[in-house]
Amino acid sequence: MKHIIKASTIFISILFFFQILTALSINFRSFDHEGFTRIVFEADQSFTFSVRNRPGQLQVLLPKRADFKAQSIIVQNSRLLERVTHEFKEGNSIFTVFFKGDVTVNKNFVLEKPFRVVFDLVKSEKISTLPQSTPENIEKPQGAQPAHQPAEPAASKPKPIETICIDAGHGGEDFGALGKSKLQEKNITLQISKKLKKLIESKTGLRVIMTRDKDSEVSLNSRASIANNQQAQMFISVHVNSSFRKSAYGSETFFVSLKATDQEALELARKENQNPEDPGETIKNDELKMILWNMAQTEYIRESSTLAEYIQFELNELLGTRNRGVKQAPFRVLMRTAMPAVLIETSFISNPAEEKKLQNQEFLDKIAFAIFNGISKFIYYYNNIVK
Amino acid sequence: MTAKARNYLFISIAVFFFAAFLVVVCSRKKAERPEPELRSRTIENGSVTQFIKVKLFYYSETSAFLQPVFREIEVPEIREGLYKKFIDLLLAGNSGLITPVPDGVQLRSAFYLQKMELLVLDFNDSLINVFPGGTTAELEFIYFIVDNICYNFKEIKKVKILSGGNENKTLAGHIDLEKPFFPDYNWLKDE
Repeated sequence: MKHIIKASTIFISILFFFQILTALSINFRSFDHEGFTRIVFEADQSFTFSVRNRPGQLQVLLPKRADFKAQSIIVQNSRLLERVTHEFKEGNSIFTVFFKGDVTVNKNFVLEKPFRVVFDLVKSEKISTLPQSTPENIEKPQGAQPAHQPAEPAASKPKPIETICIDAGHGGEDFGALGKSKLQEKNITLQISKKLKKLIESKTGLRVIMTRDKDSEVSLNSRASIANNQQAQMFISVHVNSSFRKSAYGSETFFVSLKATDQEALELARKENQNPEDPGETIKNDELKMILWNMAQTEYIRESSTLAEYIQFELNELLGTRNRGVKQAPFRVLMRTAMPAVLIETSFISNPAEEKKLQNQEFLDKIAFAIFNGISKFIYYYNNIVK
Repeated sequence: MTAKARNYLFISIAVFFFAAFLVVVCSRKKAERPEPELRSRTIENGSVTQFIKVKLFYYSETSAFLQPVFREIEVPEIREGLYKKFIDLLLAGNSGLITPVPDGVQLRSAFYLQKMELLVLDFNDSLINVFPGGTTAELEFIYFIVDNICYNFKEIKKVKILSGGNENKTLAGHIDLEKPFFPDYNWLKDE
């Protein structure tokens, strides 16, 4: 018993000192520039965060305890900012920036060394007149690139995200799932996808392509092919869910699963693709190549998982509906995409309450905005990896 | 001791107990699935027939997991016949529970590939023609079939689904049907 108590005490002490050493310390600063105000949250280590945009304020949530110099700081001589507060609530450190009047977040990005989360704020009516260039000697955004850059030859090294492919599920003769009021999945997915495209283009300047922009039927293979041929670096498939259980509700985000069947096929393909007389040489066999091509997504599983986490977190935050979480399944449309790829099930058309919500444009706006927020965060994460 | 230090101490103790809990839980041996029980019974004409007791799982409105129901099946001479009887019984449904199968869907045949430990199930065309759509609906159907059959018959490790004798890409535009499915017992309530 003595030994157990002694071991426990040592273990707790180690954890205690480890906690102190790894405590997150946050510094806040702001600058007024011509046409916009930049705010920066700087930390001695990287952290995950979520953002809530509310009238008159911006909230940054960290899912851990953070140290901040005071509970409330008055921001002196700022055109747009009034004060910043900090509180720890339900496991989250919440930083709230209070604005003077109507203020909008125009850009949000992350920088490394040291880790910084940066927001560019503007008076609400000034978004379209913002200067495109960023003043020197201050934090520069890494993610956003000018739109419609000429296509470059495919490079072996991953490059920062410039092109996103949005896939509006179903279309044409394929209605997708149907609601009790005959609401069709294909129409909802197209509306959300168009809203999302508009948001991404206007807020980031990135190039967005769509697998369909009207009520047309596109095969699952063609959808992946469009994304691959256009050298998209992210594939977002938008869907509306349905269940045999009418009570099922909520949102969920999927990425491809790598179950044993896939591994078996991959191993088989590798073995059979080798010339027995010369193991270094591969046999040119279209069928076997196809087996491997079916698994193009395996290269990007980790990134797809992260993308799914970011998007699901935002859907959960913004929609306030049941969080069904991030899941894996062998989606045919995702398997052949050679890029981070996810499929989003926004809500259940088979649930009468959610079907009603899906007929409301504000709800669709919220969905598009949540997906956009998740994508934005992934872009900063991804661009920092490939830098 | 400051409030901050107290918080860290509290968190450390909580982490310690959580870790200990995980060690205890992870070290517990997972319960084995029982083999179906073979029973003999004399029927009206005096002949003796063998039955097995099977455990069927269905969905309910109150739970996202499959709920267990016990039934008996007469064991035919051919093994594939038993699998077909089992699926037919499954598709017949159970009062008060949800059978995630569209109306009119029936099993045409079942054949077992022993070396691959693979059961191939060939449903009629209705499976593809009338499937209602939705990722969750597709997953509900697939794992309703795969989990039930693999749970009750240990020799089956994976299941391939056909419709009208053909391989189909998907049921309704989502889950890839070209590869066989392994069971995912996360869908079963009592596992």
